[in-house]
Amino acid sequence: MNVYLLQVVNGIGIGMLYFLLAVGMSIIFGLLRFVNFAHGAFYLLGAYFCYQAVEWGLDFWLALAIVPLAVGFVGWALERAVLRHVYDKAHEFHILLTVGLALIIQEGVIMVWGPIGENVAPPDVLKGVVMWGAFIYPKYRLFVILFTAVIAAGLWWLLEGTRLGSAVRAGSESTEMVSLLGLNVTQIFSLTFGLGVATAALAGVLAAPIRGAEPFMGLEALGIAFVVVVVGGMGRFSGALVGGLLIGIVQSLMSTLWPQGAQLMIYVAMGAVLLLRPHGLLGRG
Amino acid sequence: MQAIKDNHQWLMALAVVLAMPLLIDSGSLASEVLIYALAVLGCNLLLGFTGLLSFGQGIFFGVGSYTLGNLLVRLDLPLAAALPLTVLAGVVSAVLVGWLAIRQRNVYFALLTLAMAQMFYFLAYTMTDLTGGDNGLLGVPRPPLSILGVELLSLESPWQFYRFVALCFLVAFWLLQRVTTSVFGRTLLAIRDNEARAAAVGYDVHGLKLAVFALSGGVTALAGGLLAMMAGIAPLSSIEYHSSEMILVMTIIGGTSNLFASLLGAGFYVLSADWLSFIWPRWLLLLGVLLMLVSLYMQRGLWGVLESLWRLLRGRRGAAPDATQPEQRP
Amino acid sequence: MTATPVRPILRAQGIVKRFGKFTAVQDVNLSVAPNTIHSVIGPNGAGKTTLFHTLTGTLPATAGTIEFDGVDVTALADHQRVRHGIARSFQVTSLFPSLDVRENLRLAVQGVHRLAAADGWLPPTGPRARRELVDEILERMGLTRVGGLPAGTLSHGQQRRLEVGMALAARPKAIFLDEPTSGMGVDDIGGMKALIHGLRGDHTVVLIEHNMGIVMDISDTITVMQQGRVLVEGKPEDIRNDARVRTAYLGNMITGGAA
Repeated sequence: MNVYLLQVVNGIGIGMLYFLLAVGMSIIFGLLRFVNFAHGAFYLLGAYFCYQAVEWGLDFWLALAIVPLAVGFVGWALERAVLRHVYDKAHEFHILLTVGLALIIQEGVIMVWGPIGENVAPPDVLKGVVMWGAFIYPKYRLFVILFTAVIAAGLWWLLEGTRLGSAVRAGSESTEMVSLLGLNVTQIFSLTFGLGVATAALAGVLAAPIRGAEPFMGLEALGIAFVVVVVGGMGRFSGALVGGLLIGIVQSLMSTLWPQGAQLMIYVAMGAVLLLRPHGLLGRG
Repeated sequence: MQAIKDNHQWLMALAVVLAMPLLIDSGSLASEVLIYALAVLGCNLLLGFTGLLSFGQGIFFGVGSYTLGNLLVRLDLPLAAALPLTVLAGVVSAVLVGWLAIRQRNVYFALLTLAMAQMFYFLAYTMTDLTGGDNGLLGVPRPPLSILGVELLSLESPWQFYRFVALCFLVAFWLLQRVTTSVFGRTLLAIRDNEARAAAVGYDVHGLKLAVFALSGGVTALAGGLLAMMAGIAPLSSIEYHSSEMILVMTIIGGTSNLFASLLGAGFYVLSADWLSFIWPRWLLLLGVLLMLVSLYMQRGLWGVLESLWRLLRGRRGAAPDATQPEQRP
Repeated sequence: MTATPVRPILRAQGIVKRFGKFTAVQDVNLSVAPNTIHSVIGPNGAGKTTLFHTLTGTLPATAGTIEFDGVDVTALADHQRVRHGIARSFQVTSLFPSLDVRENLRLAVQGVHRLAAADGWLPPTGPRARRELVDEILERMGLTRVGGLPAGTLSHGQQRRLEVGMALAARPKAIFLDEPTSGMGVDDIGGMKALIHGLRGDHTVVLIEHNMGIVMDISDTITVMQQGRVLVEGKPEDIRNDARVRTAYLGNMITGGAA
C-alpha cells in the first residue's frame, strides 16, 4: 500500500484526535479568555481513567461514555470552586494556577499508577485490520476517525443549533451582552469549561489503545493543543478542526520524510502563524 | 543613610549571600540558588518591570550553557574572556527572539515565546556537534579565574566556586538595581502600565522592549554558563520547555515587585526541590498546591508574605513601598 | 477685520482610514490655523476619533498626507510625532495607573526628548525629575494636592484633567484633545472650558467635543463630520445656523451655549 496514502490516513486519525484535544482549549479561551495550562492533564486523566475502567472489567464502550462525563464533571466543579477566582487577576496567575493544577494531576497519576505507563487494549471487536482491496488498515484507528467525526458533528450542532451554543458563541464576542440578554453567564462559563475538559478527556480515552497511558503524555498533549489552537484560530470550532487535521497530516508525513524535523516543523508553523496571522488561519482577521 | 536606603535591596541580597555558607552544607546547592536567582532576575526584568510574560527564558539559559561550554572546551579560552562572550551570546539571542516576539502583544506574545522556545529546543537536539544533543555538552571544565596568566581565583572546590558565583551575582544584582531605578527602568514601568500611552507620550516602545530583552538575555545566559561550569555539563534540559516554565514559576512565586523577590523565589524553589525531593519523590505535587495558593491568595508572592509579616510585627498600617513604584523624594 | 492668510500649522489632505472592508474616514481634508481652537464635531460614528488617530499617528492612515508645521509626518509613528510638537489626550482615560500623578507627568515631560529614556544609569532625580515643569502643570490642572497619589486612585474628573495635563507636559505646538470633558461633573466642566480657552496663546488646540456649550463658545473654527466625511466647516455662527448640521444631529443640540 502506498506509504504516503497510509501516512495521510494516519494523519487524519491523529488530526481528529488533535481536534478533540484542541477544541476544548479553543472554546475555553474564546469564551473565558482563559489559557488553560492544565488542558493536557485532563487528557492524561481521560487515558488513565480509561485504563483503570478496563482493568476493573468495565466494557470499553461504557468507559468511552462515562470517563469524559466524569472528567468533565471534575472540570466543571473545579471552575466553580477555584478557577473563577482568578479571572479578574493578571494573566500570569491564570497560567500559574493551571500549571499548579497540572502538576498536582500529573503527580497524582504517578502516585496512583506509577511512573512507567500502561497499555490499554482496544475492545475485541475493534482488534485487527480491515481489508478493502489494497487498503489494509487497523480497525481501531478507522473507528477513531469515524467516531471523532460523529463527535465533531455533534459539537457543531451543539454550538450552532442550541441555546447554550449560541450563548457560548455570543459570549465569545461579548459577555456583557450575554448577561444583558438574561442568561446566567457564570453558569455558562462553568458548563463551557466542563465541556472543554470533557472533550480533552475523550481524546485521552480514544488515544489510550493506540499509544497507551503514560504520565508525561499530558505535557506533550498541551504543546500540541497550543499549536493546533494557534494555527487554527483561537475560539473557533472550525479552526480547531482544520488546525488539527493540518497538524496531524503534516506530522504524519514528516515522520517518514524527516522524522527529526517533525516536531520542529509544527512549532515553526505555530510561530509563523503568530507572526503573520495571529488570529489563526480561520480566525477573524 | 540615603545610600543604605537606595541600596537596601542589594544589601539584603548580600546578607543572603553571606548567610548561605552558614546555613547550607553543599557549596553546589548554594551556587545553584544564586545561578537560578540570576535567571529569575532576567525573567523578572521582563515580567515585573515591563509586563512581558516570556516562556522563552530557557532559550537564553541554554544558549549561555552551550556558549560557555563550547568556548571553554573547544576554543580553550580563558574564563575572563569566555564569560563576557557568553553574556554577549545571550544578548544577541535575546535581541533576535525579542525582535520577533514583540511584534505581538499579550497572549500572542507569550505563545510566540513558547513556540520559539520549542524551536530552539529541537534545534539544540539536532545540532549535536555544538550541543551534544540528548547527552549534552560534556566535560565542561572549571578553570581558575586568571588575568594575563596570573591566577586570581581558583574555582575548584564547591565553596570556591560559590565565591565566584556570588561575586558574579552581586555585581549583576547591583547593575540591575542601578538600571531598574534609572530613567530607563522607570520608563519600563510606564510601558508595563500602559503601552499605548507610553507611545503617545513619545517613547519608542519597541526599542525599549528590545533593550530590556537584551539585558534579560545577557543575565540569563550568564546564569546558564555558570550552571554548565558547576555541573561540568551543558545539558539539553537547560533549553527544554520545563526550564522556561520553572524560571517563570520561580519569578511569580518570589514576587514580581522587586529584584530581591527574585532571589527569594529562586532560593525557595531550589532549596525546596533539594530537601523535599529527598523526603518525597512526588514533592512536585506540593509545589502544584503552592502555585495554586499563590495565584489565589498570595499574588505578591513570597516577598508579599514577608512584607505582610514585617508590617504585622512593626504594627504599621497602609501600603508598604514597592521597588516598582517610584520613590518619593523630598 | 480681514485675516491675513496664515500658513496652517496642520494640513491633512485626502485622509482615508479603512479597517478591512469598513471605511471609517473617507477623503477628509483638514487645515488648522496656528494658535486657534479648531473643533471637530459630529454624531457618534462620524469618524472623529479615528481621524484623530491618523493625525496624531496612533494609527497609520490608509491614504492621504499630513503636514505638520512644514514637515511631512505621514509616515511617522505617534512616538515620533511627539518630537515634532504633536501631543494628545484620549477619549477613554489612558494613564499609568500604578504610578503616582507626578511620575505620570514626569514621564510625559521626558518623552519629548528622543533618547531621554536611554539613560540606564542615573535615576530620575535632580534635573531629570523636571520638578518645575511638573509642578507648573499640577498647579495649572488643579492637581497639586494629589500629586503623590497613584493615578488610578483619582476621581474621574481628576483623571480627565491629568489626561490633558499629560498632553501639555510635552510642551506641544498642537494639542489634540479627545472629549476632554467626557463624564465630568458640571463644576469640573467650567474649569476645563476656561483652561482650554486659555491654551490658545501658546498652543494650537484641536478638539473633539460633544458639549456644544464649550464648542460654540470657544472655537475659532468648527469642522462637522458625518459618516467619515466632512459635512461642513466654518465659524461657530455659520455652523450654528447650517441646516445640514441640524439634520445631521437631528435636533437643536447645536444652538449650544450660554445657560
